[in-house]
Amino acid sequence: MSGALLKKELRANGLLAVIFLGVVTLYGSMITNMFDPKLGDSLNAMMETMPELFAAFGMSNPGASLTQFLANYLYGFLLIALPLVMILLLVQRLLIRYTDRGAMAWLLASPTPRWKLVLTQAFVLVAAVVLLVGYMTGLCSVLAEVLFPGELELDRFALVNLGDLGLLLFFAGLCFCSACLFQSSGPALWVGGGLSVAFLLLDMLAGVGEQAEFLRWFTPVTLYDPVVLANGENVLPLVGLYLGAVVLFAAGMVVFTRRDICV
Amino acid sequence: MRETAIEVSGLTKDYGGGRGVFGLSFAVQPGEAFVILGPNGAGKTTTIRQLMGFVRPGAGSARIFGQDCFAGAAQVQSQVGYLPGELALMDDMTGAAFIRLMAGLRGQKDLSYAWQLCQRFGLDAGQKIRKMSKGTKQKVGLVCALMHRPRLLILDEPTSGLDPLMQNQLWEILLAEKQRGVTILLSSHIFEEVERLCDRAALLRGGRIAAVEQLGELRAKASRVYQLRFAGEKEAAAFAAAWPGAAAKGDWVQLQLSRGEPVARLLAMVAQSGVQDLQTRQESLEDMFLRMYGGRNE
Repeated sequence: MSGALLKKELRANGLLAVIFLGVVTLYGSMITNMFDPKLGDSLNAMMETMPELFAAFGMSNPGASLTQFLANYLYGFLLIALPLVMILLLVQRLLIRYTDRGAMAWLLASPTPRWKLVLTQAFVLVAAVVLLVGYMTGLCSVLAEVLFPGELELDRFALVNLGDLGLLLFFAGLCFCSACLFQSSGPALWVGGGLSVAFLLLDMLAGVGEQAEFLRWFTPVTLYDPVVLANGENVLPLVGLYLGAVVLFAAGMVVFTRRDICV
Repeated sequence: MRETAIEVSGLTKDYGGGRGVFGLSFAVQPGEAFVILGPNGAGKTTTIRQLMGFVRPGAGSARIFGQDCFAGAAQVQSQVGYLPGELALMDDMTGAAFIRLMAGLRGQKDLSYAWQLCQRFGLDAGQKIRKMSKGTKQKVGLVCALMHRPRLLILDEPTSGLDPLMQNQLWEILLAEKQRGVTILLSSHIFEEVERLCDRAALLRGGRIAAVEQLGELRAKASRVYQLRFAGEKEAAAFAAAWPGAAAKGDWVQLQLSRGEPVARLLAMVAQSGVQDLQTRQESLEDMFLRMYGGRNE
């Protein structure tokens, strides 16, 4: 990695990360605060009136525990979609903008080899995602402990976060790889970003009804099921997400090192 | 034996539709200033991208100080100072922060020469790059290209977008670098501007080298252009008919004299012809290339 570039990127993108931490703090504390051990029943009643809508947002099985509640309402959609926006913005700022505006020429014209440059940018992206999920884990744990002492099953909640991290790293890898692959900024951003959004939509559709259920085989989001993870089950499929992330990041870096870059 | 600074042989990059460069071969010796001349779209930037290792040659090879430009890019870059044609710096940084970043990427700790250069160029590096004028940005770029005292400078259209004053300053800076023994390769589509600095020129047309010439020798071959204005079209046409090679256009006549052709005879004839005005200039490099190597891009 290049220390000079790392320092520059941390300084340039720190504010963006802080803004996203702020936004997820808002949602995280709001939703944690909404938990009411007795509310479970009334929510179940509401869900029965419009099951498709709830299912679409991954909120299919609102259990009674705080862990299940958070897995359902926070980790089912919000903590996928919001970080995905951050990932897209970061990929844009770390790679695409440099190539698009031509500043990449300066990076390439330095004696720092390409693999070191691209490894640095990948590190910044991964670090931001890990920071976001790590922060959420800490925030919700502390909030839950303060508001509902003893309600959160920390080990299972950690599993949910591990799953969320896996999925987000997979998306990050996808967006990163596409940014490394394409010269022009449109495809560079939207092949990865579009695929991520499409995978997410497919997962939402698959949750709606039995006819659409087969769609779950076409999206890696299936590998991450926060509610089941909150029961301590289905941990193994997460390996697929992490492996996918590693492969995608590695592929992106290899491509970037060998590709023609017209700046 | 001295190491060749740049050695390009059979360099080809085909972008389809006739765009790209095809079978370029030339060598630049250490201490030499070499210019790639050519109209826009002739392949100048494509050539430089391959020299900088941004783009992998389709065929042939490009070497700098004996190292392959793509495979050995990182090693090559440590000896090269580069100024891109499209000067895109990082807008949200100050000039000084950008210079520090570039030094960091070079692993260069001592920045005293960089700040010395800033002073020499009259550059206030403290302001945000976004707020800088084109000329000021160019100075930041030049500091980054020169601060590690490279053995070779590669500059892509270094004067484009600069006002004449700044252009002049740039040539002074480059001349000083040349006197220090730095090898320079630059590209330009303006023929006249490179004469002060460059020893040799490659003329690039349609992605192929039309000629490689010593600029000094070429200058000696330059002819003089005479433009004469007459009272009317009739007089102009009459004069043009009497002098071989002269062409009339309205009440103007234009003709060329090569070195050694009799100026006195022309002047004597002009004096008797009732000429109104006479202008004379040296043939431009561009015209000369066209005269010697044929027409423009088809």
